[in-house]
Amino acid sequence: MTRADPRMRLAVLGGKVTAWASRGLRMGGGTTLPGDVARTIDPRVLRKLAASPRRGIVVVTGTNGKTTTSALLRRIAAAAGWRIGGNQSGSNLIYGLTAAAIAQADLRGQMDLDWLVLEVDELSAAAAAREVQPRILVVLNAFRDQLDRSFEVDQVAARLGEAVAALPETAVAVLNSDDPRIAALDRAPKASFFGIEDREADRGGLPESADRPVCPRCGGSLQFSAVYYGQCGDYRCPACGWSRPSPALRVTRVLTAGLDHLELTLAGPGGGVGPLEVPLAGAHNAANVAAAAAAAREMGADWDQIERGLREFRPAFGRSQVVRWRQRQVRLLLAKNPAGMQASLEAVLSGDAGPVLGLALNDGVADGTDISWIWDVEFEKLADSGPRWIVVSGRRAAELALRLRYAGLAEPRLMVRPAPEQALDELAERAAPGMPAPSLLTYTAMLAWHRAVVGAGGAEPFWAEG
Amino acid sequence: MTGSTSLRLGVLYPREMNLYGDRGNVLALVRRAALRGVELEVTTLGLDGGDPGEIQACSGFLIGGGQDMDQLALAHDLVTRKGPALREQVSSGAPLLAVCAGYQLLGEHYRTAAGDLIPGLGILPLRTEAGRRRLVGNILVAANPGLGLANPLLVGFENHSGRTILEPGLHPLGKVVRGGGNDGDSGAEGAVLGSVIGTYLHGPLLPKNPALADWWLFTAAGRTGTTLDRSHLDDSAEEAARREAIQITLSGSRARGYRLLGRRPRIRRTG
Repeated sequence: MTRADPRMRLAVLGGKVTAWASRGLRMGGGTTLPGDVARTIDPRVLRKLAASPRRGIVVVTGTNGKTTTSALLRRIAAAAGWRIGGNQSGSNLIYGLTAAAIAQADLRGQMDLDWLVLEVDELSAAAAAREVQPRILVVLNAFRDQLDRSFEVDQVAARLGEAVAALPETAVAVLNSDDPRIAALDRAPKASFFGIEDREADRGGLPESADRPVCPRCGGSLQFSAVYYGQCGDYRCPACGWSRPSPALRVTRVLTAGLDHLELTLAGPGGGVGPLEVPLAGAHNAANVAAAAAAAREMGADWDQIERGLREFRPAFGRSQVVRWRQRQVRLLLAKNPAGMQASLEAVLSGDAGPVLGLALNDGVADGTDISWIWDVEFEKLADSGPRWIVVSGRRAAELALRLRYAGLAEPRLMVRPAPEQALDELAERAAPGMPAPSLLTYTAMLAWHRAVVGAGGAEPFWAEG
Repeated sequence: MTGSTSLRLGVLYPREMNLYGDRGNVLALVRRAALRGVELEVTTLGLDGGDPGEIQACSGFLIGGGQDMDQLALAHDLVTRKGPALREQVSSGAPLLAVCAGYQLLGEHYRTAAGDLIPGLGILPLRTEAGRRRLVGNILVAANPGLGLANPLLVGFENHSGRTILEPGLHPLGKVVRGGGNDGDSGAEGAVLGSVIGTYLHGPLLPKNPALADWWLFTAAGRTGTTLDRSHLDDSAEEAARREAIQITLSGSRARGYRLLGRRPRIRRTG
């Protein structure tokens, strides 16, 4: 952008003023409205701004793990000495991306950044890829997510495929070789795969919440020789012979125990790292680490920088964040769809999680108004193991309680406390000192709990974090 | 079979046709049967199984919802391999409850948006055509009084683009109180013919509609002479979940608004 573009400048100014005003008026974090205003002034503002980062733009998409993977990537990039920007507030539709770009640009539309790392909603990924022309597109997975909006998983995969197809010639698609639908998106100019290769982490079969693994090439039934999380694992199609592409970047060893951390070893082109501990829980997060490392390699980071970034990493908002409530601690874990809930539940059961577990289900538009997915989560695993008390909360607390009852739980172990404050009180009452009570929450339930905790002084407002 | 204490549920294509928690329907039947003193055994009738002998051994059936791609693969197996035995069972009074895509497969055919014709089982005189707008949201249905349900208000969630048209004379499962139903404007939801019920309600259907779970069990038991405790069960947890769902459905016009306008709300979403 060498020549002045008055319209773009006006759009940036409009966006900045809106952001300043909306913060001043305490309308919230000012995370999407500035984008809306700027795009009204100049619909091409994001395209124009996208040319500014010196090295380019990385887009991270998929149904699960975007925020964690982006946070990992930012940490590695910082360790590599790059100046990084992004949409840390989590506004990941096109307006939020525009607002994030404007926030980081000066009034001439210039960003003093090496890389802009954007996490993008899976249904907005194609539009985002067309507008920002990323150098690297990371596609994590396609799990059932908010089916009332995204309808079917195949359609989500198709939209992700459009994002891959919209990449410029010089771009790289970093793809999850363990998720069949994602592995099949290798029509990119250049595809680079990551995946787990540790037979000892095989959970021994697909969980109930997994989709029927259909061969994306021929529609036949896929055969799995290992399953690590969701429908992700090692597979092949007996009908047409298509099989999991061999990943260049591999998790060769993953040990999951409890919610504090996982231990993993990575191997890939030119080296590897580990074993090292990362403060994340569950095999699905090992895949997120691999995705971030694969993207970082494509960005030009070396293995030392990757290792340093991973060691310095701390979880993002609501991803294993520990907050205070009445002299006790609560660990907030986002569990927004069956794959996420199943993985988090298995992480809770993999170690000593303490005496009490919180679960909250909301059915807002951001959660997905269809909550039938809870019936696919194997809550039966809680029937004869796990925490001594289960506190159920949220707008659909009664539905969740019914699900747990059908899984074999009953009073007095099962407690229904719909309001966040009631649930937090109950958790604080029963949590052991120094042992955060894990709580698995859908998206707006997470926001409501976080709001309650911030109100009581037990955590920072989330847009102040990052 | 008089005095027997077990029933057998045949679940058609549980792997392929379980998009919306339809597994909950199986859990509900098993649990309620146990509370009524009967063991409900579950047989899987999948793509790789379900020969006529297995179907004949079942007291009743469930089939759930799936994705379009699954439906194509299944229709052939359902119509040709399982069709004859299933039809025979149903015509002698075995209950068959079909949800969403399963419901569509019981009709004459399903015509996709691309114009392809997926043949159905033809157990119910109805046909389904792909519609332009998807009907998505919470739904309330006043069930056909002919079914004699203890609680005739059915609660659930629908998500379908198919428009199902019933032939004259075929009764709907009920009248739409809130939601779309078979086609979004006739006010009819589902279909019922003898011991066969088809519906778009998932959510899943049976845990929150125990009266319908009882209909299935009573129908299956009546036909096989199985002794079933028919006394009133403590459904307070089910009632609480129903109340919650009904309240949200009645207050939920906001969530529907944007779909009618054909645009997505701008909301914060994260991964």
